[in-house]
Amino acid sequence: MPEAVQVQLKRGVLELCVLALLSRADAYAYDIAARLAAAIDMGEGTIYPLMRRMQSDGLVDTYLVESPAGPPRKYYRLTPAGRTSLAAQKAEWTSFSAAVGDILGDEK
Amino acid sequence: MSRELFLGRLRTGLAGLPPETIEDFVADYAAHFDEGVAAGRSEADVAAGLGDPSRLARELKAEAGLKRWEAERNPSAAANAIFAVLGLGVLDVVILLPILLPILGTLLGFGITSAVGFGAGAFFFVIGAFAGAARDVGAAMLAGLGVMAGSVSLGALTALVTIGLVNALVWYGRLHLKLLKPALEGGEVRK
Repeated sequence: MPEAVQVQLKRGVLELCVLALLSRADAYAYDIAARLAAAIDMGEGTIYPLMRRMQSDGLVDTYLVESPAGPPRKYYRLTPAGRTSLAAQKAEWTSFSAAVGDILGDEK
Repeated sequence: MSRELFLGRLRTGLAGLPPETIEDFVADYAAHFDEGVAAGRSEADVAAGLGDPSRLARELKAEAGLKRWEAERNPSAAANAIFAVLGLGVLDVVILLPILLPILGTLLGFGITSAVGFGAGAFFFVIGAFAGAARDVGAAMLAGLGVMAGSVSLGALTALVTIGLVNALVWYGRLHLKLLKPALEGGEVRK
């Protein structure tokens, strides 16, 4: 069932994607959700439980910024632990995807 | 689904958590609707993008339950965490209960045994001090102390095993929460 495989793959790398987005610039949850939904077609609701988990794991923390319209926005930024985790997960992903790519390449 | 309906279902699903935690979670999604509508999307479109609110509530609730168990190791937090993980549907209750119930029963039995043992030991200790013939006093008190010490160590062992068991369940639940359950994708995946 290719759809289930796709979803599992995406869920597995979602945290890595959020860490990578935040390493470029701090962002608020709607922005993260919208960008990830557009790029890898994720359910936007998934982002909130994930952000809470990452916050309780100490990978990100939050601060409030006045918004031009409406109430202040909650921005997320990486903690030092988040940066360490990003580096580790990125290395793991790179070597894993290279290995899978090699195997798939052999079947040409 | 309208904003009101979505937030209402989310709130219903979160019932049982502390009120301020519920407000906190609901505020996240209310803000999401505000941002979405400000960006020109319809409420129905934002709701569809978010997924099933009951399912989201279950995941949020499980996360809160696991966090509480990590913060306070007590029986009520343990029960809370176990039910939260069960609520996710990642553990098959039908398969799990016949295994889990005897284990929990045995642990409860050990717990009661150690409590009763401690009481009996204390009884001997006190009786020995007051009622025994003069030469038996020391022996009775020592025996009482011995039984009390044994009960305490049995109780401690039981507690350790129980904590280990709940941790294993929580670990298992987390693993699924993170990687395996295509839970939040809503209708399009669960065909």
